[in-house]
Amino acid sequence: MASASTSLSKAEKSYIHSSLCSSPPLRADGRSLFDFRTVLLETGVAPLANGSAKLNIGKQPHEGGGGTEVVAATKLEVEDIENGDGVEGGRIICSVICSPSAYPHLSSNALDELQYDLTTILHQTLSDSSLHPPNLGILPNKKSWLLCIDVAVLADAGNVFDAIFMASRAALWDTKVPRTRPIEYQARGLAPSGAADVEMDTESGQQAQKSSFDTRDMIKTAADFELPDYWDEGEVLGGREQWPVCVTLNILPPMHYLDATPSEEASTPLRLLLAFSFPPDSPAVLQAMRLLGPGELTVAQLKAFTADGEKYARELFAALEGKLREEDLRRNVKARDRFAAR
Amino acid sequence: MSGGDDMAVWMQARANERASGLHRGDKTSRTITSFSHPLSAALSAPRKSNPWVEILNDGGYRSDGRRQYELRDISIDLAQQGTADGSAVLTHGLTQVLVTVFGPREAKMRSQTLHDRAVLNVEVNVLPFSTGERRRRARADRRMLELAATIKTTFEPVVQTGLYPRSEIDVFVHVLQQDGGLLQTCINATTLALATAGIPLLDFVCAVSGGVHATSPMLDLTTLEENDLPHVTVAVMPRTNKVTLVTLETRLHVDRFGEIFKLACEAGQTIHKEMRRAVKSRTSALITAMGGGLGHGPGADVLERDIVMDDVHTNDDF
Repeated sequence: MASASTSLSKAEKSYIHSSLCSSPPLRADGRSLFDFRTVLLETGVAPLANGSAKLNIGKQPHEGGGGTEVVAATKLEVEDIENGDGVEGGRIICSVICSPSAYPHLSSNALDELQYDLTTILHQTLSDSSLHPPNLGILPNKKSWLLCIDVAVLADAGNVFDAIFMASRAALWDTKVPRTRPIEYQARGLAPSGAADVEMDTESGQQAQKSSFDTRDMIKTAADFELPDYWDEGEVLGGREQWPVCVTLNILPPMHYLDATPSEEASTPLRLLLAFSFPPDSPAVLQAMRLLGPGELTVAQLKAFTADGEKYARELFAALEGKLREEDLRRNVKARDRFAAR
Repeated sequence: MSGGDDMAVWMQARANERASGLHRGDKTSRTITSFSHPLSAALSAPRKSNPWVEILNDGGYRSDGRRQYELRDISIDLAQQGTADGSAVLTHGLTQVLVTVFGPREAKMRSQTLHDRAVLNVEVNVLPFSTGERRRRARADRRMLELAATIKTTFEPVVQTGLYPRSEIDVFVHVLQQDGGLLQTCINATTLALATAGIPLLDFVCAVSGGVHATSPMLDLTTLEENDLPHVTVAVMPRTNKVTLVTLETRLHVDRFGEIFKLACEAGQTIHKEMRRAVKSRTSALITAMGGGLGHGPGADVLERDIVMDDVHTNDDF
């Protein structure tokens, strides 16, 4: 992984190692081993996307900058199943873009490699069939949605994986799928009831006996679809409680810690990424695990870290969910009240 | 997203309300009494290219409710971004651009340095969710390279590169949202970012786009207008009124071009005022923060303040 943003001398590395291993453990900003820095989240930052979120870990308060800043956005496109790349039931593509201002010391080739690494990890975790949302199809065997998740890393101050997964989860939570209605075109004279309309939609039925509002059978024969309401954003993307959160355990055997700053990351390059999903009323599911960096772990250590990781991920999940619901409230209910009161 | 949609509905309603002449000349009324269908407004107007939205209607209003020479809202955020030396987020209507500047610093590749001045590198990054239609562009996309080269040639004569030989100034432009006027927003944001980074400039560079609809010139075009009209982008240095950039990619009659060019130069002065105001308020905020540190604390009475704070407000030039 070509993401070492700071170069440290051996003396600095050993200084950080010894303070992490001391008792009580000491970190440069005074946090405990399992404390996260302040996480700022805002949803709905890209009005042209179907869902978006901006996340910042560790921004200095009071006009300060810094921190890991990540913007994620989801976009839905229509795909043809017969003639194009579409898949029955829709598909998901993820991509990560690293801004050169986040990694000013890297050349553009190294930046591309880093982008590719981050994209692979995100794509393989989120496009898994166990997380596939149920409402990504439009017309069976004809058209489906392609969900594109784009994440842009604008600044990196450590812990970029957690930021990427949290922002993706927030953007997916915020995603609205436009409602579609199947329509069918029929030539004159073919319909038994003698319907003279060239375009038949749900308003005029096919047979006199059937109710004209019954569109259930039409979806099998429909050739195209329309958006019934132009201004409606649509329904929420299904399965949004399942999207995973990731915790990065920075490992300095035998101990581990969370949310590393750039100098800490440079001194303890061995990391374990764990992506957990917490579906409601079910036990936690480990969606992805990656061991990055030079170093080795015994299987017993790995099991212990995984169990610890689940605890941290659960807290992170609960906090993120609380904030997402609060953001929903701010943007929908309160915005509507303010607009009505103008 | 509901906010954006609400705004779109509201703007359309305002435009239609004005088009139907309900509140002609009444600038104070803000209530929306009726929301007429866009088709009725379009049917009343004569020849237009897009049957659903008119570029400029009989009442002199454009598709988003502005008048002919009215510029969109500008909002400037000069807060620090990441570890950049200078940064600026400029929102011009619905077009939002973030520019970060690094430098002057040691060049990544010594072979690309110049012995007597600094090298200015510009990289443009258009995020895929910036337009309505998602398009993932490769890093070496031609349009982005062209945009970067245009920005670079605009700023080469303005940045005092002679002061920093054998070094490099990196400008990274990120396009967060696009709704027309991309080049003008990029240039304005780059000026602010360079100023925030403390890099010496000869003057501000203020850019504005303009176009001509039939015979009426218009300033600051949105995407809808840019697709239909010939448009030109002009960048001026406001103190000396010198022009550093003029681009025109479509066909335009020479007389019309003269009109819109003059208008755009004047509009550059307006944008200059906004930019100066933003930089001044940011500078005074920073000086207050620094001044607060010097005047208070344990060593305050020992330390003598030799900076006269009034210079910020009485000094007219930059």
